[in-house]
Amino acid sequence: MGALMKPMLGAVLIAVAVALLTPAQAAGPATQPAPQPGGAAMAHTCAGCHGTQGRLGTVEFVPLAGLPEGEFMGAMRDFRSGKRAATLMGHVARGFSDDELKAMARYFASVRPGEDMRSRKP
Amino acid sequence: MMNRRNFLLAGAGLALASALPARAAQASAHVVIIGGGVGGATAAKYLKLANPALKVTIIEANRTYIRPYGSSEVLTGHARMEDLAVSYDALHHRYGVDFLFDTVTGFDPDRKQVRTAGRQTLAYDQLIVSPGIRLDYAAIPGYSEQIAATRAPSGWIPGPQTALLAKQLQTMRAGGTFVIVAPPVPYRCPPGPYERAALMTEWMRRHNPTGKVLILDPKDGFVTDATMQLGWHRLYGYDIPADYLKDMPGDVNNTGRPAPIAWVRAKDGGTPRKLDARTLTVHTDGGPVKADVLNVIPPMRAGKLAFDLGLVNETGWCPVERRTFASSVHKDVYVIGDASIADAMPKSGFSANTQAKVTAQAIVDTLAGRAPAEPVWGNTCYALAGSDYGLFVADVFRLKDGKIAQVSGKRYLPLNASPTQIRLGAAYQQAWLKTFTEDCFA
Repeated sequence: MGALMKPMLGAVLIAVAVALLTPAQAAGPATQPAPQPGGAAMAHTCAGCHGTQGRLGTVEFVPLAGLPEGEFMGAMRDFRSGKRAATLMGHVARGFSDDELKAMARYFASVRPGEDMRSRKP
Repeated sequence: MMNRRNFLLAGAGLALASALPARAAQASAHVVIIGGGVGGATAAKYLKLANPALKVTIIEANRTYIRPYGSSEVLTGHARMEDLAVSYDALHHRYGVDFLFDTVTGFDPDRKQVRTAGRQTLAYDQLIVSPGIRLDYAAIPGYSEQIAATRAPSGWIPGPQTALLAKQLQTMRAGGTFVIVAPPVPYRCPPGPYERAALMTEWMRRHNPTGKVLILDPKDGFVTDATMQLGWHRLYGYDIPADYLKDMPGDVNNTGRPAPIAWVRAKDGGTPRKLDARTLTVHTDGGPVKADVLNVIPPMRAGKLAFDLGLVNETGWCPVERRTFASSVHKDVYVIGDASIADAMPKSGFSANTQAKVTAQAIVDTLAGRAPAEPVWGNTCYALAGSDYGLFVADVFRLKDGKIAQVSGKRYLPLNASPTQIRLGAAYQQAWLKTFTEDCFA
């Protein structure tokens, strides 16, 4: 019985070790830092008003899908500095760095407004 | 740590005993979502957008979603109950999300299975639970779910109580008092009770000009408080309390005259202690207050499902690892939305929506063997001080030292906002009801 237990215990320990090394665990604060958020992930925080992937059908908010990078960057920088009047966009813009805004700008510029949203990864 | 596995498994154990074949590759991975509200629906849609090969199933008790955001507009007649109904058709037909309209009765986190009242057993690779809130009616002595259903509605989860409250308000005697009992933190929709008060004050001006709105509050402040009170001052002649006057713009001029809206804070005796449903009297620290229509928004906890699944801690909310909202209790289970403990993030639909997106992507990454990225969440709550007077709270959130922190600085409409900004805020509030619903459900 004792002889049989040892290999089984070994297998259990390996299983535990594997379980501890799943990606979710490996990304924990105790180990190496997680990758920086991608443009798409940050852009998703805009979707509640500006439409999923920036594809908006209504007129009150600006559709962001297909917006040239320069336009997005210019608007966000002006919102952030207060140069451009806004309701809440000044507040939102202050939550992102230039590099992050660039990543979001690249994402929105790459979305083709007419295309089905299921045909691209968000 | 609370754990009700045994309670749930007592009935389910035998049925779940036969081991299912181990699930393998990501292509066939099954993500089960319990709860088809804002959090669950958004998670399903964004999971399918990120990886259409995933099998995604939502287990939801109701065939139609009744949205809580904007539901106070039913009280003023600006919206009808049926306007709150949201269909699940787009999620199913457009994105291929499977639906099981049923209630969960069994949970085996070790075998990674859930069982339903309809005797279905679902195996999952990853489980998202988005249980919303439960109203703790009994927390206020004299109040109960039965009283809420018949005499003093809460109407905080939209449904028959919302319709009852609307009827009571529309038939209130001339010159009567509508009393709103505001909840303690944390609660769903922080500006909501105060927006409801504002909209009813505006409504009464037309329909019951001598009627009054009185808020009894166990708190001394609320989200959007300065900007909301400025709106009340301008629209209804409300006198702004001295401690809020400091940064107010030049047009503010307290008159000392009674206004149709009043806010009685904790420090002014507003804390409710006891209720007499028969006479519609609220006993507060400042004495008894008699209502003609009484709306009690009681303290809240995580939804019942979260308790049944043993996902809550001693606070009555669900502890999560903040990066992905993975449950601190069970592995491969995530809790998103109002029920989760999310530090600086308010319990709002917008918060649940961005939590769902971060968690959906983290699950896709985890299933693909990638480390989830650093999370970014957002929140925007528009609120109205009147039909054409909009204000808001807007935030960006990130992970700081294992907790969720607000990183965008100022949160509210500036006190010196122009009339145009204020009018636009109201227009955006109405537009947001539509764009937000689409991002979650269509």
